[in-house]
Amino acid sequence: MGFLEIKDLHVSVAGKEIIKGIDLTLERGKTAVIFGPNGSGKSTLLGTIAGLPGYEITQGTILFKGQDLGTLSIDEISRLGIGISYQYPPAIKGVKLQTLLQNINNNPEGIASWSKALNLTDFLQRDINVGFSGGERKRSEILQLLLQNPDLMLFDEPESGVDIENISVIANVVKTMLEKEKPISQRTRSSIIITHTGFILDYVKADIAYVIMDGHVRGCGSPGEIFEEIKLHGYEKCASCFAEQFQGIKTGDER
Amino acid sequence: MNIPSVDSEQLLNIGYDACAASCGNFMVLDHTILDIESRYQGLKVMPLAKAFDVYPHIREKLFFGIVDKDKNEYTRMSYNSEPVGYYIRVEEGVKIEEPLQAAFLFGEQGSTQLIHNIIELCDGAEINIVNGCTTATHHSQGTHVGITETYLGKNSSLGFTMLHNWGNTVEVFPVGAILVGENARYISNYVAMTAVKKIVSYPVAHVKQGGSARFFSIIFAKKGSYFDSGAKALLEGAGANGEIIGRVVSDGGTVISRQMLSGNEPGTVGHMECSGLLLNENGVIHSIPELRGAHPDINLSHEAAVGKISTEELSYLMTRGLTEEQARSLIIRGFLDIKIEGLPAKVQALVDEVIERSIAGSI
Repeated sequence: MGFLEIKDLHVSVAGKEIIKGIDLTLERGKTAVIFGPNGSGKSTLLGTIAGLPGYEITQGTILFKGQDLGTLSIDEISRLGIGISYQYPPAIKGVKLQTLLQNINNNPEGIASWSKALNLTDFLQRDINVGFSGGERKRSEILQLLLQNPDLMLFDEPESGVDIENISVIANVVKTMLEKEKPISQRTRSSIIITHTGFILDYVKADIAYVIMDGHVRGCGSPGEIFEEIKLHGYEKCASCFAEQFQGIKTGDER
Repeated sequence: MNIPSVDSEQLLNIGYDACAASCGNFMVLDHTILDIESRYQGLKVMPLAKAFDVYPHIREKLFFGIVDKDKNEYTRMSYNSEPVGYYIRVEEGVKIEEPLQAAFLFGEQGSTQLIHNIIELCDGAEINIVNGCTTATHHSQGTHVGITETYLGKNSSLGFTMLHNWGNTVEVFPVGAILVGENARYISNYVAMTAVKKIVSYPVAHVKQGGSARFFSIIFAKKGSYFDSGAKALLEGAGANGEIIGRVVSDGGTVISRQMLSGNEPGTVGHMECSGLLLNENGVIHSIPELRGAHPDINLSHEAAVGKISTEELSYLMTRGLTEEQARSLIIRGFLDIKIEGLPAKVQALVDEVIERSIAGSI
């Protein structure tokens, strides 16, 4: 039984098919990075895994720890061990960040120490994401994930809208969350990271990269090599080389 | 406090605790005063009927001074009855930190409770009053009429918190009027979280030069409840300002939220907002904002929004492992969370506690 197994996944949003048959597997302890142009279906894939409303699975399955996520509610998926860091988290007036954190995991020491590590101590008594800058929102997302402590973490562009200084703060915490200091064989947490800039890969080494274009996986392989190709030639020109690489490669070298 | 025929739980629901630190107390059951005390020099708390004898100006000038005795059948009935209620007076320059607690209990089945209160703050006086109104037991039914006339002297300050905890067999008709003197400050904080058959309430503040009147209300309308509620601030002096903020949740009840600001003099500033949250298809929230400007040098504004709980916010919280019920509860609590500038922490904590007690069993 695989950790995460996505088979022939088709997903529609408002009646329009966005994901058109994706197969993707991820082992426990591994980190996958997803590249792809805007509108290719990357965020839709993460949202579908997390069970967010509006993403309709029309065909195929997502199995996580052997359970079909298509049959579970959002909170059941969460409690099964999946957490997501949003690209654009909503602001919720009146609900204090600390109140949410306590509801996620009433661990006062953890809340105090992790909020300090993410420079968010002064934000605990503020309404969630209300008036937060891009970087503050992303740090808040990471803080919530820390308390949630999921087995599979989904990061939707964790560095977008974040300045260089804060990218290192976020990335180093993510690195710790993913147990990158441990030998590969001892890591238990997995993640899927969507990135456009690739900045986070300077800190968090991914094991495998997938390239998604127009709702399909067009290639997979070494994160470093694929990212270099994209930077040099762009997505369209690389489509053919991705296809050549995409020959059953399931694990890549660390970047 | 243990009173035969009064459910102690009901007292907790309006935050009344005679043992807690407060500057004074007042409690009436139906038409009988059970408790009345002032523990602060410069603060007078007495039955209104007795105050007529002590302070002749009350009957001459303050009794139905800013409420029309012919406003409706209840005001006429009240005018022609022996008044039951309090007279609260804070002497000039006396500033009291501890709040005064008052409780109005309604118990006699099928009757009409007529209450008339008068509050008088002399120049420079300050106090916070917490009024709790409830049925004596969960089974009481009838009509409660509460008239409150408030007179604020120059540079005085009153925080007036009203906590309503009625039952679905009670009709309630509060009539409130406030005269806000020059540079005086009035803050009204109204909380109604439990089912009620009907409440009609539309207090009016007359705000003189440099004064301010701010109304905050939190209403949770359960199935079958009917609220016709709001506030009016008449900014009658130069530089007067007003604010009316309402948060309304309908869980099947009907709420008509009326708000009016009127600016007649230069430099008057006012803002009002009504935010409504509909939890299901059975409720109605009808927001009626009114602005009236009668001078070019004024600044009046309003905003209103009625809608449901955001699906995006709900799913966001659920991705953190909260159940739908937990997520809804958190959002509703947040929606109702108005932190009122100028309200003492102790009174705010009391309001928060009353809301929490009410909301815990209702969502």
